[in-house]
Amino acid sequence: MTQATRITWGVLAAVVLVVWPWLTDDRFLHHVGVLIMLTAIGASSLHLIIRTGHVSLCHAAFMAFGAYGSVLTVMSLGLPFPIGLLVGTGAAALLAATIGPIVLRLTGKYFVLITFLFGEVVRMAIVENVALTGGSNGIFNVPPPHPIFLDTRAYYYLALAFAVFAVGLCARILGSEFGRAMNAIRDGERLAECSGVPVIRFKVIVFIIACALAGMQGSLMAHYNKVLSPENFSGIISLNLVVMNVIGGMSSLWGALIGAVFMVMLPELLRGYVNIQHIIFGAILFATMAFMPGGIIEAARRVKALLSAKPDASAPPLARAGAAE
Amino acid sequence: MLEFLSRLEILLNPTVLGQVIVNGISLSAIYILVALGFTLLFGIMRVVNFAHGEFAMLGAFAFYHLTKDLNWPWMIALPAGVIGVAAASLVLEWLVFRWFYQRMFESMIGLLGLNMMLIYGGVLLWDTHERNIPAASQEVLMVGDIIIPIDRLIVVVIALAALSAFYLFIRHTRAGLAMRAAAQDVETAETQGVDTRYIYKVAFFVAILLAALAGSLWGQIYAVSPHLGERPLMMAFIVVILGGMGSIPGAALGGALLGFTESIVGTAFGAAASAFLSFGVVIVLLVFRPWGILGTPEN
Repeated sequence: MTQATRITWGVLAAVVLVVWPWLTDDRFLHHVGVLIMLTAIGASSLHLIIRTGHVSLCHAAFMAFGAYGSVLTVMSLGLPFPIGLLVGTGAAALLAATIGPIVLRLTGKYFVLITFLFGEVVRMAIVENVALTGGSNGIFNVPPPHPIFLDTRAYYYLALAFAVFAVGLCARILGSEFGRAMNAIRDGERLAECSGVPVIRFKVIVFIIACALAGMQGSLMAHYNKVLSPENFSGIISLNLVVMNVIGGMSSLWGALIGAVFMVMLPELLRGYVNIQHIIFGAILFATMAFMPGGIIEAARRVKALLSAKPDASAPPLARAGAAE
Repeated sequence: MLEFLSRLEILLNPTVLGQVIVNGISLSAIYILVALGFTLLFGIMRVVNFAHGEFAMLGAFAFYHLTKDLNWPWMIALPAGVIGVAAASLVLEWLVFRWFYQRMFESMIGLLGLNMMLIYGGVLLWDTHERNIPAASQEVLMVGDIIIPIDRLIVVVIALAALSAFYLFIRHTRAGLAMRAAAQDVETAETQGVDTRYIYKVAFFVAILLAALAGSLWGQIYAVSPHLGERPLMMAFIVVILGGMGSIPGAALGGALLGFTESIVGTAFGAAASAFLSFGVVIVLLVFRPWGILGTPEN
């Protein structure tokens, strides 16, 4: 793709994202738009961690810190929303800075297991700490960031702005020198270390940035939903973010975005069939990992290669998932 | 501090102490049953079975339906249900598991998918309300001041019998020897004439058998619902990390540690405290000794 076509596509995408809410008055579609934007923040931030070769199953725990941090700042201390958002994001970043240096030394299966357990610890702590968090009942009547944002269409633009910021930040990091170091870490930690990459420090930095973004999503989600309960941050939410990355394809940020759109739209199409929806997600997860670990991106590449293949063109190398040992 | 001591003092009461010991043994035995299968699958096939708890759930439902709907006596219903579940699961082995052998990373994520399918399939089939399996016996045994319910005792005896049978199988049969060989090094085992495809099937059958048995016993003590598998799965994780992944004696040690911790701390300080303690210990252990107490570090 040349620079010119790239810019054309970019402008076109920007126009579509800004204009589409005015083509319909359907509140429900606006609502789906908000969810996609917010989910894209979580999925792309988790993608950053996955690109260093770690699959985290506790991303929702950081969302919880962001959400409770922000909501408690606004509701208990009476401070304005921007400060709440900063406190929430900061709380998630602080938590990541505390546990990151410890857990990021673990590889592969141990990292997956420890993050799974840690997510459960955070959820339990929320349920047990009734005085602060309202326990399993949660917190009601969370105020919107500003009365303007009671309108779903307005909230869409807020979410869009934050999503563009978050996804842009992730893309910028992945495209930089730093991103190349991340790829080196994923492909061979020891080799990267020998080549002068400060592996642990880089992984911790990536983890903090990604978890801060997750905290930001948690805060925005809480002020949008107006209620907040531990169930919003259970293991299945973390798992869904992993699913988005897996079905989209773990080798590129586009995969996370495609996955996010897919995973938000599909439940809306299957409304009223919540159980079947989970079964379908499960089946997709299994089938993708068994037969197409590269996800939708990989599938598209293969189809493209098939269509444009010269007889002697070799198949593209299989995009491998990162964290395999 | 005083409150802490007074809570510990509860444990000195003989009735409570008896209860704590019986609970500790039965919980340990159930955790070991779940964890053994989990560690077996990991040790031999390098599969991290995130769906392991769901086989416990299936075992519990099989036991429930056989005793409650068909009115079979529990002594027949238990083995029939457990073997039935393990045999039926061989279909899942063919459909799902065989794709993930020796592919650890893919297996974790893919089997999380299977986990979701089984839980929500269970919810569709049985909805979420909890059912009770009738107790095997209402009587109690008195040893001095200690009261032991007979049905708890039955659970302990069955679990210990299953564990001994497993030990004999793995130590003293040719299939067990082949399994141990495959767990050490699959390729070398294959060159020595071990039919790994067959061994995988046997190991899978045994692992599911143990999980289904644990689930049935668990359902007998607590209640049966499609979400029954979640807790045993978490416990299997903790046990296996404590003991060392792939290590069979490690699973036994980890299960005993966890079962007794839960029974003692849970009685004195409540279930939440014991959960936080076990998670905390595991997280600390993972940091300093990720291969567990009895495991061996890789490379």
